[in-house]
Amino acid sequence: MISLPGASPFEVLAIWCVLVIAFFGLAYAMLLRRQVMACDKGSAKMQEVWNGIRSGADAYLKRQLRTIIPLILVFTVVLFFSVYVVPPTAESRLRFEGYSDQSLKLIIGAGRAVAFIMGSVFSLMVGQFGMRMAVQANVRVASASGRSFTEALKIAYRAGTVTGMLTDGLGLLGGTLIFIIFGVASPDTLLGFGFGGTLLALFMRVGGGIYTKAADVGADLVGKVEAGLPEDDERNAAVVADLVGDNVGDCAGMAADIFESYEVTIVSTLILGVVLFTQTHELSWIIFPLLVRGIGVLSSIIGTYLVRGGRQGKNHNALKSINKGFYSSAAISVFSFGLISYFYLNDWRSFFSVVAGILLAIVLDEITKRFTDGRFRPVKDIARSSRTGSATLILKGLSYGFEVTVWQTLVIAITIFLSILIYHGQPVVYVLYGVAMTGIGMLTLTGNNVAMDAFGPIADNANGIGELSHLDKDARKIMDSLDATGNTTKAITKGVAIGSAVIAAVALFGSFITDVSKVQIQMGIEQSAQLIETGIRISVPVVFIGLLIGGTIPFLFSSLTINAVTRAASQIVEEVRRQFRIPGIIERKVKPDYQRAVDICTVSAQRELVPLALISVLSPIIIGSLLGVEALGGFLAGVILSGQLLAVFMADAGGAWDNAKKTIEDGLYGGKGSEAHHAAVVGDTVGDPLKDTAGPALNPMIKVINLVSLLAAPVIMTFRKPGHLSAGLVITGVICLVLVIGAIAYSKRSSETKPVREI
Amino acid sequence: MDAYIYLSATPEALIASMLSPEEFGAYLSMGTKKRNRGQAIFFEVDPQQISGLIDGDYIRKRCTAKPDGRPKSSVYLSVYRVLEAIPVSALRSLYLTTDNGYTLELRQAPYGADREQKERLHLYQELLPVTPLVASGLGPPAFLKKLTDGSIPIVLPKLFFVDLKMGELAANPLRGSAEHLPYSNIGHLRDCLEILKTEDQKQMKTVRRYFSGSLLYRTIGLGFFVGSGDNLVFYPYPNMKELESIHYDFFRSI
Repeated sequence: MISLPGASPFEVLAIWCVLVIAFFGLAYAMLLRRQVMACDKGSAKMQEVWNGIRSGADAYLKRQLRTIIPLILVFTVVLFFSVYVVPPTAESRLRFEGYSDQSLKLIIGAGRAVAFIMGSVFSLMVGQFGMRMAVQANVRVASASGRSFTEALKIAYRAGTVTGMLTDGLGLLGGTLIFIIFGVASPDTLLGFGFGGTLLALFMRVGGGIYTKAADVGADLVGKVEAGLPEDDERNAAVVADLVGDNVGDCAGMAADIFESYEVTIVSTLILGVVLFTQTHELSWIIFPLLVRGIGVLSSIIGTYLVRGGRQGKNHNALKSINKGFYSSAAISVFSFGLISYFYLNDWRSFFSVVAGILLAIVLDEITKRFTDGRFRPVKDIARSSRTGSATLILKGLSYGFEVTVWQTLVIAITIFLSILIYHGQPVVYVLYGVAMTGIGMLTLTGNNVAMDAFGPIADNANGIGELSHLDKDARKIMDSLDATGNTTKAITKGVAIGSAVIAAVALFGSFITDVSKVQIQMGIEQSAQLIETGIRISVPVVFIGLLIGGTIPFLFSSLTINAVTRAASQIVEEVRRQFRIPGIIERKVKPDYQRAVDICTVSAQRELVPLALISVLSPIIIGSLLGVEALGGFLAGVILSGQLLAVFMADAGGAWDNAKKTIEDGLYGGKGSEAHHAAVVGDTVGDPLKDTAGPALNPMIKVINLVSLLAAPVIMTFRKPGHLSAGLVITGVICLVLVIGAIAYSKRSSETKPVREI
Repeated sequence: MDAYIYLSATPEALIASMLSPEEFGAYLSMGTKKRNRGQAIFFEVDPQQISGLIDGDYIRKRCTAKPDGRPKSSVYLSVYRVLEAIPVSALRSLYLTTDNGYTLELRQAPYGADREQKERLHLYQELLPVTPLVASGLGPPAFLKKLTDGSIPIVLPKLFFVDLKMGELAANPLRGSAEHLPYSNIGHLRDCLEILKTEDQKQMKTVRRYFSGSLLYRTIGLGFFVGSGDNLVFYPYPNMKELESIHYDFFRSI
């Protein structure tokens, strides 16, 4: 089936091996799932609490599916017919030589549509299966904590690994399958695959982010601040929504987010690899990234299986064990990459790019830790500033948030510069390929990263179940310890997710330039006028306008998501207050109606999906249609720059405020109930939607805009000749603009808080 | 009589209840239909020793289970000048309840002078019958005696107070680190302590006139004291490690 001109037997074998590894990763996920599912589910009381979480999670997932499926269908049709507007590339004609023009269009159109569905479904599966696994695991972890720390840690981490290996296995499977079928024509269809995954990730991230923070902020504002109830108190009507939200945001949202980065990096690498292949006729540009991914899956399997707890049941033992698994995977990966580079490539440049990616992940992680971990100065300073009130605490957090953004961005810039050094003297496409390989390197250990991330909500939920079912002191100590470990691992993976999103976006940006140039060649535009030669010239006024508008999009997106959280949280506050007024709830004689809060969060989260998706999908079409493709390039640069800056700022400032509050709750400045604590709670409440809703949603948004640009650019160029405006494009642009304005108005209109119905 | 008798310090009241101390603490802190919220500090009182002060028949009549079988939560017996009327010997354990309903029992223990470090200042939160926050160079027994023996114009019949942590300020008011102290207006506290340090005649200095009604349980030093003159009863407060290992629920909620 593989149709690769000039492929050696080793290369053909390597591709098949990668496919087998993808299935192996999925089989490993199934094995772990079976192990977790075989564990005891605990007492009837624990299962009662758990059933509440499970039904809330199910309701959210079902409703999300209902919202998303029509959009998937619409985009599938659009992608299928896109090939009738822009003819297939020269590589596609080469791959399907002998087919008629109509047949070729049908094959590529169908391939793109099916790849889009595959990307969407895989992303959905990672999010939905991952979340269901987390929900299944949390009650088992709670139950195991009554027996031993080691068992509880093992179940929580292995359940997280199920999501990790799904991400790995499905990401690798999709890319490899497309490559096996389409060979050098794969860039035509890979875009559909990437777009599907990214669009779904956007839905999961936005929906999950709004849900989780609406529930969390609402539950905390009334339960903790107004009524003085502890975390996870059964009398708080929003407690189950809060527990469901941990899964929706940190598990489903994060897994889908990392999955799309994983997908997009392989998509952009293969697109650039094919360009290099056509220039050099060396298949290693395409085979090596797939082999790197395959090795990553194997090393993640080994590393994650090594994670076992110590006997002491201490927090540092859990972290030590998880880190041991992570570094074992990293060492195995680097060693194997070296072997392949030596025996197969006979060229160390790609190896250095991949290792630079792994180093980038470690450095970003270290910077994130320095600015958000309670052991270091910034968080201590923020906590100290709580003594003079919430205003100074917020200002301090803003200050450190701005600072960390500088360092993180500089590190990413240095990494891109490393690619320039590695491919010194080569054309720009080599450098872009190097950047894409850096992204591949960063996400080598995706299995471990997602496992670490999903571990967080599992431990958090287990602790909630323990609290609500009144488990004994020793069991709750174990769960507190695992919960604290989960908070740390979640923060670490957030840094990696943002960093990889930026690298993936830069690689996609590279793909945009090479793809546009390819179409320009097909159109017969002379070489000196092609984008790969001219670059994106921001001195051209329309390009600068594109840059400016691109810079505003992340702000608009963040504004709408934060607004959505505020609106939903206000509704939750009203609902919890209303339920507190019901006689018997405070005295624990009447059970609150948890489902109401779950419903409010579910509805609020879904309401924003369509407007935000429209803004992401239509804004590049507006710019491209009205200002041209080079301006679209400027627009992309603006989106990437301001999106990256905002995402890092929001994630790290929010994380720092959160940990400043935790530091105070651990006893600093009087602990809970002190004035310092009140100030820190305000800071954390402000930071919550930044770090868990708006910031993370920017990762997939940047890439949705990139991929739409990649898909739309050839269409725009076909209709928009240089120096001429096309009436059709102007009309398209204006219609899209009207739709975007309508989406913004819809999003803002629904910000009126509806009164809660009294019982 | 089936009822427990409690002396609440927040606010001062003598209450009969069918609830155990843990249940009573939870009830005071949050378990009313009025949605009360706030920490509770109360003693269990030996009913036998105050039988002459309370109306047993009234308690038997009022403090009975409700028609649905639920125990009676509270019957207020007295709300004014209660502490001064109760003999110190009638006080049993002291209970501290967090504002989310977790209760810690503190038992009496002998107070040894070895607990006090020389040349160190103290910060006392008076809880009953008056509630100023006072800095003092006197140790707890001397402080109690000073305020209750009639040697100064301000005299109290009995006093219930708690010793609060001061960290380095206890020895070095001006330069000592106040890094982890949660008290508001640290500058004023330093001034008060410095006055005590430099003016030999000055033994007590009011830092704040009113008690906010909420004690930060993490800031409690040696513990609680109650009595008059030389008759001092001491309730030692566990350190944070003991709280974490033995009283985990309470520890988590402070």
